[in-house]
Amino acid sequence: MNAEQKRLEESGEQKAPWKKWGPYLSERQWGTVREDYSESGDAWNYFTHDQARSRAYRWGEDGLAGISDDQQRLCFALALWNGKDPILKERLFGLTNSESNHGEDVKEYYFYLDSTPTHSYMKYLYKYPQAAYPYSKLVETSRRRGRNEMEYELLDTGVFDDNRYFDVFVEYAKASPEDILIQISIHNRGTDPAELNVLPTLWLRNLWSWGGHPDKPALQQLAGATGQCVVKAVDAKLGERYFYCDGDASLLFTENETNTQRIFGVPNRSSFVKDSINDYIVHGQEGAVNPERKGTKVAAQYRLTVNPGQCQVVRLRLSDVPPASASTFGSQFEEVLHARREEADEFYKVIIPASLNSDQGNVIRQALAGMLLSKQFYNYDVDKWLEERGCDPFKPTRKAAPRNDQWHHMYNGDVISMPDKWEYPWYAAWDLAFHVIALTLVDPDFGKDQLKLMLRERYMHPNGQIPAYEWNFGDVNPPVHAWSTIFTYLLEKIQKGEGDREWLKSSFQKLLLNFTWWVNRKDRSGRNVFEGGFLGLDNIGVFDRSAPLPTGGYLEQADGTAWMALFCENMMQIAAELAMTDPEYADMGVKFIEHFLWIASSMTHLGNDTGMWDEEDGFFYDVLCLPDGQTQRLKVRSMVGLLPFCAATVFDGKVLAKYPEMQERIRQFLQARPEIRAAIHDPAKLGVADRRLASILDETKLRRVLAKMLDENEFLSPYGLRSLSRYHADHPYIFVADGREYRVSYLPAESDTGMFGGNSNWRGPIWMPVNALIIRALLQYYTYFGNEFTVECPTGSGRQMNLYQVAEEISHRLANIFLKGEDGRRPVYGGARKFQEDPHWRDLILFYEYFHGDNGAGLGASHQTGWTGVIARAMHLFATSTAEEFLGLGAKAGIVKVEPAQKRRRTRAAKKEVAV
Amino acid sequence: MANLSNGENMITASKHLVALFVDRFSRQWIVRDPEGRFWIVPSVENGWDHRQSLYPTEESALEPVPGQYIYMLDLPF
Repeated sequence: MNAEQKRLEESGEQKAPWKKWGPYLSERQWGTVREDYSESGDAWNYFTHDQARSRAYRWGEDGLAGISDDQQRLCFALALWNGKDPILKERLFGLTNSESNHGEDVKEYYFYLDSTPTHSYMKYLYKYPQAAYPYSKLVETSRRRGRNEMEYELLDTGVFDDNRYFDVFVEYAKASPEDILIQISIHNRGTDPAELNVLPTLWLRNLWSWGGHPDKPALQQLAGATGQCVVKAVDAKLGERYFYCDGDASLLFTENETNTQRIFGVPNRSSFVKDSINDYIVHGQEGAVNPERKGTKVAAQYRLTVNPGQCQVVRLRLSDVPPASASTFGSQFEEVLHARREEADEFYKVIIPASLNSDQGNVIRQALAGMLLSKQFYNYDVDKWLEERGCDPFKPTRKAAPRNDQWHHMYNGDVISMPDKWEYPWYAAWDLAFHVIALTLVDPDFGKDQLKLMLRERYMHPNGQIPAYEWNFGDVNPPVHAWSTIFTYLLEKIQKGEGDREWLKSSFQKLLLNFTWWVNRKDRSGRNVFEGGFLGLDNIGVFDRSAPLPTGGYLEQADGTAWMALFCENMMQIAAELAMTDPEYADMGVKFIEHFLWIASSMTHLGNDTGMWDEEDGFFYDVLCLPDGQTQRLKVRSMVGLLPFCAATVFDGKVLAKYPEMQERIRQFLQARPEIRAAIHDPAKLGVADRRLASILDETKLRRVLAKMLDENEFLSPYGLRSLSRYHADHPYIFVADGREYRVSYLPAESDTGMFGGNSNWRGPIWMPVNALIIRALLQYYTYFGNEFTVECPTGSGRQMNLYQVAEEISHRLANIFLKGEDGRRPVYGGARKFQEDPHWRDLILFYEYFHGDNGAGLGASHQTGWTGVIARAMHLFATSTAEEFLGLGAKAGIVKVEPAQKRRRTRAAKKEVAV
Repeated sequence: MANLSNGENMITASKHLVALFVDRFSRQWIVRDPEGRFWIVPSVENGWDHRQSLYPTEESALEPVPGQYIYMLDLPF
């Protein structure tokens, strides 16, 4: 067991709070729903970036490369000033939804370079221009651009020309759970000496201004220290902490209080407010900071001149250890930092398969760093928030809230994995389920905790719905929680030799509530056909699927129904696992088998003979049900039609062997309903190793869908599977209703509509999570059909592959988005020369929200390591498993790890076997 | 069924929500108390003790301020 594994174990056993401090500070708190108290719910324009430096936050804090404790009482982050900017760089700048031509977008260059799961070591890079940051230019140019134009990026402004910028590396190393070493290394990449104010800032989250928290915490400089400055922090719950600043720094104190003069036009009660340090540094207002050297916010001012090509270092320490005679920044500091770096390398040496090359290893490590550094303390007491808006649901004088007034039970105050801490600094239920798939590579306990959290009474609605996201908790996200749960359970079971059955049981009960919510709310006709609205796929449909249809009537959704089929399969898996020791779960297993069969069969034979399956096209579509009873398939070839393919799970039959009565009940059920067997894959038909397959698609339909999916003129791109078939580039789908034309064309890059904010696009680009589900399904089919089932991949190429090889091929294509090609270029960076060629940029990887459907360039949110981080799991899986192993282990394959040498040998063997 | 005619507390007497506003013209905080009365509250320590009554007119441009800022003024309710 290496040092980081020991820390994880100590943390899991609650022997040492190694995760108490971490990167839990958001990168954007302004413009969020939580901070929005406007009547109209216009979060972006109510609390702006311009206000953020002056206005105390109500629900959380933000900062640059920052950390906080797990309740975010005390925060630390970096502030910078190059002498030319109009304000301190205390937080990342980006455009709001209405300012940009493709929705909100951060306009900064920052990179998550490394993190261990306990955050014993973290490394972050921010690139700070030496010229004035072009705030206005970015806003004005972006506003002028249309939806058909590319976004205007910071590099396009020329502010990084001639390399006139600083690379600011921030490293954290924990000497103990409560003793954090901080090293800031500033490199001048330009050709001239450049001045920089470095302002490491410590502050207390403002809990005292909003009532109910009488003990105001405090920061105060301690006198008498030589060669360093020390700030003592006192907080009633946190206790005492000491902030040590090496060398000759000036300490600038103020209060984390709203500047009411600037925000509301009313004079301040105290002259020390949130933006006083900004006014002191930028505007030279000598009296702006507190001469008594106390407050609730403090910055240590380091004025540096960095020569070209040189580096200067600032050292700090946040600790529970009071000042002593021993030096805080002596050789021990360097030793600890060095040791944590080495321990991080040691930890990842175990995680990253040795068979991968250094570039592949770099992609996995940065993906996992991004996942870990995207953790955030998320705080939202919806009841309190409603009350403060005058929308208390239990008061007769209440006003209507613009959103979330049905969710007043919610109290969130936890560390949660975010999709993107700037663009999406709020949790999203289905994203989170995918995050767990990647995070469990390094920290299964954290993954389990995340899944548990969403099912707790402080999150899940009393009616059983899992909250979607803060913009509207009542939106409907795909039900992937059960899948992530059984995955995480099996992972732990195989790694530790024993699964957490109590957790699985508890999750099963809560998931039952959620399943029942779906069945009762989203199956309008009671015929096991589901709706759900946009279901996370934003603009994929002909219409906005969350809004009333222009035709009237409703949609029977292929994706909604397929998601529910998969949900049933996952509940069957959980019930089967639990039934091996608890007989009462066997009955629930039968219930979910039957429910799966009803749902799966309904996809092909409902809707006045207009089932979702189109025999002519060999594809699934949504069915439009008009008010007059007529029905019509909406023939858009999209991910919606591939999701039925994903609802496939293999069962080993052990539970049926243990409970013969279960098998008999299923036999009788199928015998009485032959039409079900005829419509879908025959669940009684045994495959490799006598396995059974729950699948909507029988072998014929499977081959037809695969032919489209693996066709490079349709879904298969050089970089994974597209969200919409390329067929629609030349054949747009057109639907006319009430004289208006609705059109779906293949759009490989950004969206050309404002549907769902216009900042994401499911009409062509490649999205990691659904590709991951397709890889999962391929492996399930493979363990059932074995090596004899081969298909042409790509379609028309003449190359036959078994389904393991198809899955591996898709995984490789996805990984190629990030990897250097033979030309030395990374597709993710498209035509951005700086990223492709500059040695200080080219190995920094960004994990975007989605990718261009033809060339793999990154699109959408630039730091959505969240579910895009799943690439780490996919790369790991195919580097550590073999086709033979999958056939041997069935559903457990992909979790067990094999030795690299074995992997290489077995893969070759498997390919030979197929070729024969 | 309970005898509703005896339920004297079944209907709560209507009270106003305490609310905070800002008058940007006069640069002052305006508070609406639970009785629905409006007060100018100066931005000083114990500002409530120095309050002055206000009778808003249609011309008064009072901008609502989120409820949590009420605590900032140390109001007695």
